[in-house]
Amino acid sequence: METPLLSVDNLSVDISTGRGLLKAVRKVSFEVNAGDSIGIVGESGSGKSITLKAILGLLPGTAKVTSGKIFIHGKELSTLDKRRRRDLISETIGMVFQDAIASLNPVIPVGEQITEVPRFRLGLSKERAREQALQLMAKVGIPDADQRFDLYPHQLSGGLRQRIAIAMALSGSPKLLFCDEPTTALDVTIQAQVLRVLLEMRRDSGVGLVFVTHDLAVVNEICQSIKVMYAGRFVEIGSVENTFQTPKHPYTFSLLKAAPDPALPVHRLFSIAGEAPNMALPITGCPFAPRCFAATSACEVSEPEPVRVGNSYSACFYADQFGSWQSAEQVGVKRTS
Amino acid sequence: MKKKSLTLYAGLTILGLIILAAVFAPWIFHFDPNEQDLLSSLAKPSSHHWLGTDELGRDVLTRLIYGARVDLTIGFLAVLLPFIVGVFLGLVTGWYGGRLDQIVMRIVDTVIAFPFFVLAIGMVFILGPGIKSIVVTITLVGWVSYCRIVRAAVLVAKAQDYVHAAKLTGLPTARILRRHLLPNVISQAIVFSMSDIVLSILAIVSLGYLGLGVPVPTAEWGSMIQEGQAYILSQWWMSTIPGLMVVIVGFSLSLIGDGLVARLER
Repeated sequence: METPLLSVDNLSVDISTGRGLLKAVRKVSFEVNAGDSIGIVGESGSGKSITLKAILGLLPGTAKVTSGKIFIHGKELSTLDKRRRRDLISETIGMVFQDAIASLNPVIPVGEQITEVPRFRLGLSKERAREQALQLMAKVGIPDADQRFDLYPHQLSGGLRQRIAIAMALSGSPKLLFCDEPTTALDVTIQAQVLRVLLEMRRDSGVGLVFVTHDLAVVNEICQSIKVMYAGRFVEIGSVENTFQTPKHPYTFSLLKAAPDPALPVHRLFSIAGEAPNMALPITGCPFAPRCFAATSACEVSEPEPVRVGNSYSACFYADQFGSWQSAEQVGVKRTS
Repeated sequence: MKKKSLTLYAGLTILGLIILAAVFAPWIFHFDPNEQDLLSSLAKPSSHHWLGTDELGRDVLTRLIYGARVDLTIGFLAVLLPFIVGVFLGLVTGWYGGRLDQIVMRIVDTVIAFPFFVLAIGMVFILGPGIKSIVVTITLVGWVSYCRIVRAAVLVAKAQDYVHAAKLTGLPTARILRRHLLPNVISQAIVFSMSDIVLSILAIVSLGYLGLGVPVPTAEWGSMIQEGQAYILSQWWMSTIPGLMVVIVGFSLSLIGDGLVARLER
């Protein structure tokens, strides 16, 4: 078997806050191969962004990786010195942030920001870098790139800014693009355009995508496989097709149920009762149990480990009894917590 | 915005007029600032001596303008050096943090805790009175403010995604500091430098008043205030006018500082 592009093994991250230690990411493992497109889905605070940041070494000072190994091209990052690690990460991975206006430097013209990596890391001449940047800008769908080259970020619209940010992330021709909710700050029309650009980039240059979002529709549109994150852990892993049709974890099931269905007439949207667990408290049992329609007393005692169900993995004791979930919810098997 | 621009231009106009007068003083005023005329000492303001003369018969207006040359030059010089040193150290400590940051910040605390005039008097004893010891003293003390301001701004900017992005793309650190961070963190330091010039001019004037500044007979506002003090009841303008000049320069610089805040903080 060939070495995966990126492999994360047993990663845990703690964040120290005023109210104690927060277990933000707990024993997360996954692999990304060239050309993959993976969606990581979860609520705010489920640890999806922190996972990306931990891989890239961009964690804030209050956060600490407490366990786990990260491999890029089979090289474990913690065994490399700082400079080599930084080089390996920046050669392999590009990142598109959620808020384009924050991820572009306000005082540098956008064109210059796209030329920086080719000029200062790859050693291209100013003219060559400019040429390349203009091509890249055209590729991500920026009309009149020539005229927009010298504009500042605040002079561009939200959609164009995010395209610039994508061009910037691609300027070092990475093998992998991390996208941290890149379309959340955009309206739906622009969102669709930006997604199309990402899909085209993947098709044309074979760049792999790791897409973090809370929007299931987006994952459905551009990802092949999905990882559902809850309370710092992957609770379900599977192909998008399988997971959307037959979810193997009650959380995924509820998430899918909460998504609006345009085929139905106007109706009240389903929402999952309760709130995400307080990650500063010690976790006993399944963290989703208090909100779960299928929870039993066994769920309170110990936390379920992921098990293989068909072609998916699910961290639920009753993963293989999926057929009965829908009815269980209907008869209102709701644990009183 | 409009009103703020007005403040900026008003400040620049006042300061500009004073600087112009100081630069072209030899062509505007026909007196020599150090030329004594003992026969007409302590003269009241007249059409000949607009602000009268001092106890040695020197023209007060001429000395006032020549004094601007000395005080403004030292004022700007004594800010430029601390500005460069402080901004550099603030950038580096804010970015790298760790041991370096700890050491520099403890030095900053020490400097802040040390009484300025005690240090100034000490430096005058070591280096002798004059422009050099004033500039050295103010540099030794002044950099800490810039260091703190820039360090704080770097700490804020460091958490921004654009800095993350630059870091992630593997740009050389020098490039990130110079092109990405510096332009974003320097505006506060520039605004502060305007009021810092006022502070250092005040320090120069105070040292001059104490006889520790620029040696006599060079015209300088602090020593002029001190010399006029003996005649404060009869010739009140001798001390008051140089004092007023300090106030006007301070006012114009604070107007400029205010205007710059609006300009730089979009």
